[in-house]
Amino acid sequence: MNTIDATEHYETSAHDRPPSLLTIIVDTNPHAWALLNPTLPLSTAIANILVFLNAHLACNYANEVAVVASHTHKATWLYPVEPTSTNNNNSKDTDGDITMHSQAPSPHPPSSTSINKYRPFRIVEEQVSSTLHTLMSSTTPDSLAATTSTMMAGALTLALSHINRRTIAWNEAHGGDVANPNEPHNPTSSSTSSSATNARGTPESTLQSRILILSVSSSTGSAHQYIPIMNAIFACQRLHIPIDVCKLSGDAVFLQQASDATRGVYMALEEPRGLLQYLMMGFLPDQRSRRHLVLPTRVDVDFRAACFCHRRVVDVGFVCSICLSIFCEPLGDGVCLTCGSRLDMSDYGAKPAVVARKKKKKKVKANGPSATGTPTSTPTPGP
Amino acid sequence: MADSDEEYIGEISEDEGESNIPRGSRGETVFRSKRRKHRGGAEWEVSRTWETLVEGADGTISSTVEGLLEAGKRKRLLRDTTPLQRGIIRHLILVLDLSQSMAEKDLRPTRYLLALRYAQEFVREFFEQNPISQLGVLGLRDGLAIRVSDMSGNPTEHISAIQSLRDQDPKGLPSLQNGLEMARGALFHTPSHGTREILVIFGSLLSSDPGDIHQTITTLINDKIRVGIVGLAAQVAICRELCDKTNGGDDTAYGVALNEQHFRDLVMNVTTPPATYSQKQTTSSLLMMGFPSRTVEAYPSLCACHSTPSRGGYLCSRCNSKVCGLPAECPSCGLTLILSTHLARSYHHLFPLMNWVEVPWQRASDSAVCFACGLPFPPVPPKEQWQVTEGQTKGMSVSSRYECTVCNNHFCIDCDLFAHEVVHNCPGCQSGVLTHTKPESQEVLDSMNISA
Repeated sequence: MNTIDATEHYETSAHDRPPSLLTIIVDTNPHAWALLNPTLPLSTAIANILVFLNAHLACNYANEVAVVASHTHKATWLYPVEPTSTNNNNSKDTDGDITMHSQAPSPHPPSSTSINKYRPFRIVEEQVSSTLHTLMSSTTPDSLAATTSTMMAGALTLALSHINRRTIAWNEAHGGDVANPNEPHNPTSSSTSSSATNARGTPESTLQSRILILSVSSSTGSAHQYIPIMNAIFACQRLHIPIDVCKLSGDAVFLQQASDATRGVYMALEEPRGLLQYLMMGFLPDQRSRRHLVLPTRVDVDFRAACFCHRRVVDVGFVCSICLSIFCEPLGDGVCLTCGSRLDMSDYGAKPAVVARKKKKKKVKANGPSATGTPTSTPTPGP
Repeated sequence: MADSDEEYIGEISEDEGESNIPRGSRGETVFRSKRRKHRGGAEWEVSRTWETLVEGADGTISSTVEGLLEAGKRKRLLRDTTPLQRGIIRHLILVLDLSQSMAEKDLRPTRYLLALRYAQEFVREFFEQNPISQLGVLGLRDGLAIRVSDMSGNPTEHISAIQSLRDQDPKGLPSLQNGLEMARGALFHTPSHGTREILVIFGSLLSSDPGDIHQTITTLINDKIRVGIVGLAAQVAICRELCDKTNGGDDTAYGVALNEQHFRDLVMNVTTPPATYSQKQTTSSLLMMGFPSRTVEAYPSLCACHSTPSRGGYLCSRCNSKVCGLPAECPSCGLTLILSTHLARSYHHLFPLMNWVEVPWQRASDSAVCFACGLPFPPVPPKEQWQVTEGQTKGMSVSSRYECTVCNNHFCIDCDLFAHEVVHNCPGCQSGVLTHTKPESQEVLDSMNISA
């Protein structure tokens, strides 16, 4: 078809590298940012992130970005913002004008520099700062007092849903993986196999997505989010989406595993003031470039598990064969605390027969060489 | 799990292509097998699903087609979310038919090559879904059962072993009995807390056996081994009997592939852990497992499992021997070494995400866009049109909205599918955003998370 109407050379998917979608999850936990304030205030960090987003957008004209805030009591989108019922407008993605209208009565009228700014940059900057402002102003002291953790699992799930949507849309637009291109409406084949196509098809042919987590909170509060976070990590692993982690403060055990499992970059910043440089140097390259780079990954990942009974971190644990709960010590009454099934301790505590035999052999061996060894060793000092 | 009907997109079997169906109706025949109740039967030949299609107001069928597509997605989703006791620690023997009947070309490129390709995909997916399980591969060729790869938990070994079969040609007759006996021998020593399963991909219509296969079936039942068979040609009576008897009277483990896609679905269905039938079948036990951390040494040293030099590895948490890959059994002290992430990978089977419910037009005005991805929903029509659109297709939402019953947020069908099949998380619940109607559900959510 394309050869006939001479549009063949406009075909981008065949020759051009596909665009990449960068989703940044910003941990906006106010507790942690208050601690970081002397070295890196949130406003500076956001400014740095915006520069980084612009750099990503500048890499390829079709590149996309998305920003999710993982706050203390909810996870929410910073960019792109869905049109809510208050400023109800349709088609927010394709038509940037609408956001301009809602931005127009903002307290800071656009200066002459922002008018001359590259349009995609300006849209992202304006939306991110305005939605972040709304988020912060809607945070009440009560909700802050309630919890100190962050909704990382929700933010990851939102990011994944968005990536899924964009991948389907991109495939439909470019006919990349749609099994039956003659059929215009084929959402089934693209989405049923959305996991499968990404796994099977060449990664070159689809939208390349990656997630960057800017972590400041400790993971201690997110112990109850363990399973959702793990589910999200496995989803990323199946879809070949690397999770990059940029840790500014706190202790993020699950996120170490996340970047390790998905082959992402893990960096713990010693000097948070250099955030922008770290971002630009470590996190800007996309999957295609990363194959040629030596990535700053972490080598000693903490894989130890937390037991379900005391939340102790164990390296040898007892696992219920029914529900796979981990316990740090053999259960007294033999009933699993999670699923309540009766468990027998197979052969725990039974002494292995090997130990006794080995001792005997060793004794025999120890006697043997020593008996012959002493005569041979004595002559050597002789001469 | 038992009901796994699929839609057949774009696959038109040859006899249908030759028949005198007008060109325009090709698209509709796609949905023909929706109503099939029994797999492996031959009733698909007479079902005429194109007759059920209704033209829309504008004279086209596009709205009906879209509706059917959405209903199909939804149908696949609506599985039972009751937390069943499932055998997570599985021991499975994959038996491949390598006899001359596999050289047939009715499945493209040939049955043989396709079966090998799906077998490799199966191995990969099996370990994805069942990370602490064991798998072995056998082949049936020349009346003998041959060992392709031994029981192990390492997917790459199996995949390379199956890969090497590609160079050989299928030949001779298969012997189902020999294969079953060899598989029984391989499963004989497996511990009682895991499941014992055999999956046979069987392309022949006969089995040339040295003895009485019914005796083998009896011994399989005694050893509590379940057999599942994917047939490629036609239904074979002994296969159905075998599946029926070893699965406690449930013959859904036997399926005959209609086309490539159906074949793949039948094989992939087996990757989901089977439900445990009775308390007696498996004795549960508390397993001692080690969770080693990864180390990287300055100089390479030999690993205890393969005696190959490597710098990276995992140190056994009991005896400090170095193994190069996980999950593994420590070669020196026998402790099961595993990553906690391997265990976590199975949690979504144990704590499944609830099915989301359809939203009628009455409540559709609560949301204009999908909560997760921001896709705009179709606008709410005036009240008098509500009845018209309702009751189109079973299982599908008239307003294209699906609601999580915990957090009351509305989602689109794609996010529904994605959340249930890939992420296994509800975006709304995890984001902590609850609609105003249920203020108390935050506590419910928290308690659920803690108990999980």
